[in-house]
Amino acid sequence: MSIVVNLDVMLAKRKMKLKELSEIVGVSTVNLSILKQSKVKAIRFSTLDSICEALDCQPGDLLEHIGN
Amino acid sequence: MKYITHKPKLNDVRIWMTLSVLIVLPILVGNYFEPESPVLAVTTLLIVGFFILNLVIRKFLYFRAYFTSNYNLLTSKVRTEKEFGISKELMFEKLIEVIDDSKFTLIKANKKSYEILAISKISWLSWGENLYISFEDRGDESIMQFCSATLFQIYSWGKNEKNHNDLMKAIDSSLTV
Repeated sequence: MSIVVNLDVMLAKRKMKLKELSEIVGVSTVNLSILKQSKVKAIRFSTLDSICEALDCQPGDLLEHIGN
Repeated sequence: MKYITHKPKLNDVRIWMTLSVLIVLPILVGNYFEPESPVLAVTTLLIVGFFILNLVIRKFLYFRAYFTSNYNLLTSKVRTEKEFGISKELMFEKLIEVIDDSKFTLIKANKKSYEILAISKISWLSWGENLYISFEDRGDESIMQFCSATLFQIYSWGKNEKNHNDLMKAIDSSLTV
């Protein structure tokens, strides 16, 4: 997929663990791990909103489009 | 996705042999012996006992080979393989979540062998099916192997295929976070 999720980068910048984010956002660690690997089919705006809120970042910081 | 279906076909000689035994034997036994005969009682007891035995052992992963064996003509089964591109450790955890949220009942999940056993509910069409899911690494890919097997019936009335489709839909929709 040409959309890459930079969740691991943002987590490292905020020095936050995936489990902590999972507790704040209310999404299971399994789902966040799959999201981190860019293997999800879609992401809800509500989830994106919660993650951005928790990590104090913009959607553009999390999602990146890689050209062909 | 690769489908490997092992369900009885009407042109399979083994099915006709099994059906003949299952239909003709009780008739012969019924005609040959008096209603009070102990042979009838023993035959009935054996059939009912065998059914109850199947009901009990279905909840053990240990008997997977028995239910999914191609030589077991009393069960109908559907096998599929699918590659998800997610590590088997993660997919194993994901599938437990998916089954917990679905209409299937999780019976056993073995993290050492990455095997899952779930069962479907009893309906008018079936006694409920056993769903065996396992994961294996093949090269860089992790493959999910799925098998839905009936408990004690040689024709599943499409329930095995329905279980497969329902589970795949549940996995697909769970990949939206």
